[in-house]
Amino acid sequence: MTANFIYLSIAVASLATYFCRGFGVFSAKNLSTDSPIFHWIKCISVGIISAVIAKIILFPVGLLSETTSISRITSTLVAIAVYFIFKKNVLLSVFLSTATFLLINFYL
Amino acid sequence: MFKSISFKNGVMHAIGVPAIGLGSSMFTFGAYLKSSGFTLFESFTSTFFTFALPGQFVMAEIIVQGGTLLNIFLAVLLTNARLYPMTVNLIPIIRHSNYPKWKYYLVAQFIAVTAWFNMFAVHKKINQDDKFDYFFGLAGFLWFISVLCTVAGYLVSNFVSHEILVGFVFVNPIYFLVMTLSNLVEKKIITSILLGATFSIILFQIIPDWSVLISGLSAGTIGFFIFKSEKYDG
Repeated sequence: MTANFIYLSIAVASLATYFCRGFGVFSAKNLSTDSPIFHWIKCISVGIISAVIAKIILFPVGLLSETTSISRITSTLVAIAVYFIFKKNVLLSVFLSTATFLLINFYL
Repeated sequence: MFKSISFKNGVMHAIGVPAIGLGSSMFTFGAYLKSSGFTLFESFTSTFFTFALPGQFVMAEIIVQGGTLLNIFLAVLLTNARLYPMTVNLIPIIRHSNYPKWKYYLVAQFIAVTAWFNMFAVHKKINQDDKFDYFFGLAGFLWFISVLCTVAGYLVSNFVSHEILVGFVFVNPIYFLVMTLSNLVEKKIITSILLGATFSIILFQIIPDWSVLISGLSAGTIGFFIFKSEKYDG
């Protein structure tokens, strides 16, 4: 892999990514926050994000694939439980979930 | 006119959990690039210009495997396609009464899941003409931290234990999950989220490359049409 090819690859990846953003700006030109299309697109956006989260937690690649499914699923449930028990405390939820994840994988 | 106080408030919002959530993953990405043989400047350039982690990982993997530029373009486009509906959704929220178009094309570079969720969490409390600068501060700071953390991850990964790196990778999806939970207000959103996750698990077994997009599109469409008559809540 030559340096030139890597920089070209970064340029191509940035172009592909910016295309999604730039075309999004263009498409939103006349869109009002009161229109049904706006709310439909919000539903699609959150649907895609929840699909991404499910994929990362259940079918991870890279470093997370070296961890056990049970640790990822248990830690996810901990995050959800802590979030609702402790009055929607984001920091505590993320911290305790990550701590559970590390504990199950490396210390139990 | 640019309001520095709104920009500053956006930056202050980003400091803390949002920056930690995103920064930890970017740190791991920097460490991953180093272990894969990339240079420091290549790592910096990747986050500086692309700033969309899943697509950056895909790009790096394809390079390592010896793929072509066309492979990279199509794979990154598919992976980062979620940014399209997110941008369409965000722009009307932050629209300013007299800002020129180019400013929206500029700020679009900073749109990513963390900034998107955080903006939606607070936008109702902000005056319409302050929202653009607030988002610019929020998302711009997250972009800045991401670039910084990628470089830091590249430079100090040798001194960080494997366990800590694995923990860092896990922070980001869990943070996304918790931010998703904070959106569980309207029935159509709850339905879209639950169906999106369920469809993703099922479709991954059949069409892994397209599972996320098809799941999100179908889940959002079903959620929206079932509860179409529900009162809109922003």
